[in-house]
Amino acid sequence: MGTSKARASTKAQKATPDVPTRHIPEKTFVLDNGAYTMKAGYAAASSLSSEDALATCTSIPNTIVKTRDNRTVIGAQISTQITDWNETVFRRPVEKGYIVNWEAEREIWEQSFFEEKATARNKNLRIASPEDTTLILTEAPNAMPILQRNADEMVMEEWGFGGYARCLGPTLNAWNELQSTFGDPLTSTDADIMPMDCLLVVDSGYSHTTITPVYKGRPLQRAIRRLDIGGKFLTNYLKEVVSMRQYNMVDESYIMNEVKEAVSFVSNDFKTDMEHTWKADKKRQVEEGVVVDFVLPDPNAGRKGFMRPHDPLLHAKKKKGASSGLSSEILSEDVLVLGNERFAIPELLFNPGDIGMTSAGIPDMIMQSLSVLPPALHAAFLANVLVVGGNALIPGFMERLETELRPIASADCVVRVRRAQDPICSTWLGGSRLASNREELGKVAITRQEYQEYGSGWAGRRFAGTV
Amino acid sequence: MFRVELLADKGSVPQPGWSYVADRAFNPAQAAIAPTLSRKRGIRDAGTGGDMSSRRTNAILRHISELDRENHRDVAVPIPVKQAKEAGARGTRAKTTSNVRRILQSQKTFRNHLDDEEAALSNAAASGATGTTVQSGGGMSAAATAAVARVSKAAAATASRRSSTPVAPLSSAKNKKRGAGASASTPTPSVPGTPGVAASTTEADPEAAEEDSERKQKLLKTEHDDDPLLRSYAPTMPSDKIVQRLLAEPPLSYNASRAGPPISSRLPRHFCCMCGYWGKIRCKNCHLRTCGLDCYRVHEDSRCGAFF
Repeated sequence: MGTSKARASTKAQKATPDVPTRHIPEKTFVLDNGAYTMKAGYAAASSLSSEDALATCTSIPNTIVKTRDNRTVIGAQISTQITDWNETVFRRPVEKGYIVNWEAEREIWEQSFFEEKATARNKNLRIASPEDTTLILTEAPNAMPILQRNADEMVMEEWGFGGYARCLGPTLNAWNELQSTFGDPLTSTDADIMPMDCLLVVDSGYSHTTITPVYKGRPLQRAIRRLDIGGKFLTNYLKEVVSMRQYNMVDESYIMNEVKEAVSFVSNDFKTDMEHTWKADKKRQVEEGVVVDFVLPDPNAGRKGFMRPHDPLLHAKKKKGASSGLSSEILSEDVLVLGNERFAIPELLFNPGDIGMTSAGIPDMIMQSLSVLPPALHAAFLANVLVVGGNALIPGFMERLETELRPIASADCVVRVRRAQDPICSTWLGGSRLASNREELGKVAITRQEYQEYGSGWAGRRFAGTV
Repeated sequence: MFRVELLADKGSVPQPGWSYVADRAFNPAQAAIAPTLSRKRGIRDAGTGGDMSSRRTNAILRHISELDRENHRDVAVPIPVKQAKEAGARGTRAKTTSNVRRILQSQKTFRNHLDDEEAALSNAAASGATGTTVQSGGGMSAAATAAVARVSKAAAATASRRSSTPVAPLSSAKNKKRGAGASASTPTPSVPGTPGVAASTTEADPEAAEEDSERKQKLLKTEHDDDPLLRSYAPTMPSDKIVQRLLAEPPLSYNASRAGPPISSRLPRHFCCMCGYWGKIRCKNCHLRTCGLDCYRVHEDSRCGAFF
C-alpha cells in the first residue's frame, strides 16, 4: 500500500477532483450509524415535508444478540424474533460511537440492506446495486484516523458504492428546517436547501454526549467537546443501583433500559424531589407521586413491563398470600420500587461529579466549548442550541438545560434551547436534505472512480477538507 | 529503594493499572527497619488526607469503567456461520481485497486503537520535528492562533472597559481600520436570527455603511449621543479569513476533546450508598456515606470492608 499511497498523494496535488465527467449517482442512501440503532433509508425528495420524509427512515438495532437459549439474532430481526429478553447479551460493532468491529458490522449491514431474503419486506432499505448509489455515512466527532480509514476502505472496497460521503453526524442537523423549531420567521421557502448559519448541536446519544458548534454546515473542530456519559452509562448505573437495593439485575441490560425509558426524568428541583422520596416519609411518597412501581415483564405469561403509582401496602398484602384477596396475576408479578433512582440517574448528565467523575456537566461543557471561539460568535450559538439524541427524550431534560445555561451565559445573549422535532432521526433527516442539494453534496462526496484512482489516503484527506 | 504504588491514570484510559515509580530519596519513615506507624493503620488511614488518595481515585475510575461496559460479563457473541449456498452467492459479487480482509480479521478493540493513537501522538511530540501540527491545541497554524487571540483580546478589552471609563478614540480608530480592511475583501458573514450580533455587522460593505449614515442623519441629535455610558460594545464579528481558518483546523484527538473540569466549583454532593438519599454520615472503616443509622447498620453488616 506504501507505494500506491505515495503515488496517490502526488496525483492529488496535480489533478483536481472536479473534472467535468464526475458523476455522483442520483440515488442517495443515508445511514446514521449509531451505536444503539442505525437510522437508514433512501433520501426523500426535497418536496416532501419533514414528517413525510421521516416516515421513510427506519431504525434498526445495530447489534447482534445472544438470547438465554443460545440463539443468535441479528439487527432488524430482533424486534420480531425475541420475546424473552432475560439475560440477553449484546455485541455491538460500534464502540464509543465509532465503528470498531467491522466483522460484526458487515454482518449487520448485509442482513439489513444487501441480502435479498432479509430485506424483502422493506423496499426502502434494500441497496440492490451499490454502484449506482451514493452513501452518506455519519461518524462521531474526533474519530481516530485509522478508524475513518477502515470505514472508507470497507465502504468502497467491500461494497463498492458509486458515491460516498462520510460526514460528521451532528453537522447534518444544520441542514434541517429549523426556523419553525426556533420560532424564527421563514426566510426563503423556495430557495435551495441551505444549512443554518450558526447552530450549536448537543448530541446526547447511547455512547456519549457531544457539543458541536456548526458554522454554515461545517464543524468548528477546536470547540467540539465530549462527555463520556450516554444512554448506556445511565442504564448501567441504574442496573447497578437497583441490583444493590432490590433485585439482582446485572445481566438484564435490555429490561433495565426499558425501565429507564419508562420512569426516568430530569429533576428541575433536585433537593425537593429528593425529600419527596425519603423512605421514612411514607405518606409523602404516595402523595407526591415521585415514587413509582415498575412491574417487570413476564415472558412466560407474555406480559410486558409497565409503570404504575406506588402502593406501599402491596408488599404486606402479598405476604399474606391468597387470603388477601389479590388475584394470582398480581401475586406472581415482580415489582421494582423506584424512588430517587428515577431522577438521580439522569442527573449524571448535569452533575457527573455525583459519581466522582471530574468532567463538567452539559451546560458547563457548552460554555467550555464556546470559550475557545471568537466572542462575537457566542451570541449566535447560544441563541441556536439544538438538542438531538435519545437522551433528549427524558422528560425535564430541555427545561433543566435551559435553566442551567441561562445564568452561566452572558447576560446580553439570548439563550434558546430547542429539541429537534424527532431527536433520534434528526441527523438522518438532515442527511436526507443535504442529499437533495446536489451541488453541496458534490462538494463533500467522492466517486468510485476517484477512490480507485487516488486511494483511501486521499479519501481521508478529502473528507477532512484538506484536499 | 523502590516502592510500588497504584497510580490513578487519568490520561489515556480511564482504567487503573500498575505503574512503577522510582522513589530515590531515602525516607526513614518508610524503611522497614523503623516504621513510625503500624502498617495496618497506614492502610486504614489512607483516605483521610485532604486530597483524595490514589486508591480512592482508582476505585472511582474502576467504577466508571465498569459502568461503561456493554455486558456485565465478558462474553463472546460469535457471528452465525453462513450457509454454504449464501456464502457462494456472496462470492459472485466481488472479491475481497487485502484491505477488507485485514480490517475484517482485526480483533482490535477501541481501547487498542486509542492506545495506538496515544503512542503515535507522544512519539510525534517526542521527535519534535513533526509534533507541532498534531499536538499543540489541534495543530492550527501559528498565524491563525495569533489572529484569533488578537480578536478575542480586542473584544475582551472592550468588554472589560464596559465598567470603567471607555477609551473612545482608540476603539473607533480600530473600527475604522477594520472597516476599511473588511470592505476591501469579502463581506463579513452576518448572522441572522440573533439580535445581539446583528448590530455589530454594519461595517461589512460600503452600501450598508451608507445606509447606516443615512439612518444616523434621520435620528435626532442630542447631547447624550457622545455619552460614554450609552455606547454599545458588542464584540465585532470575526473576519471571513479568521472564520475560514477556524473551519480549516484539523480535529482534536479523542482525549483532547474530552470535557474539562467544571468552571463553577460546586461543593461535591454525597449520597447514601444504600438508599440514595443524602449521605450524612461517613463510615469509619470505609469512606462510603450513609443517610442514617438504619442504612449504616445494613451497610456495616453487608458491604463494609470494600475499603479504599
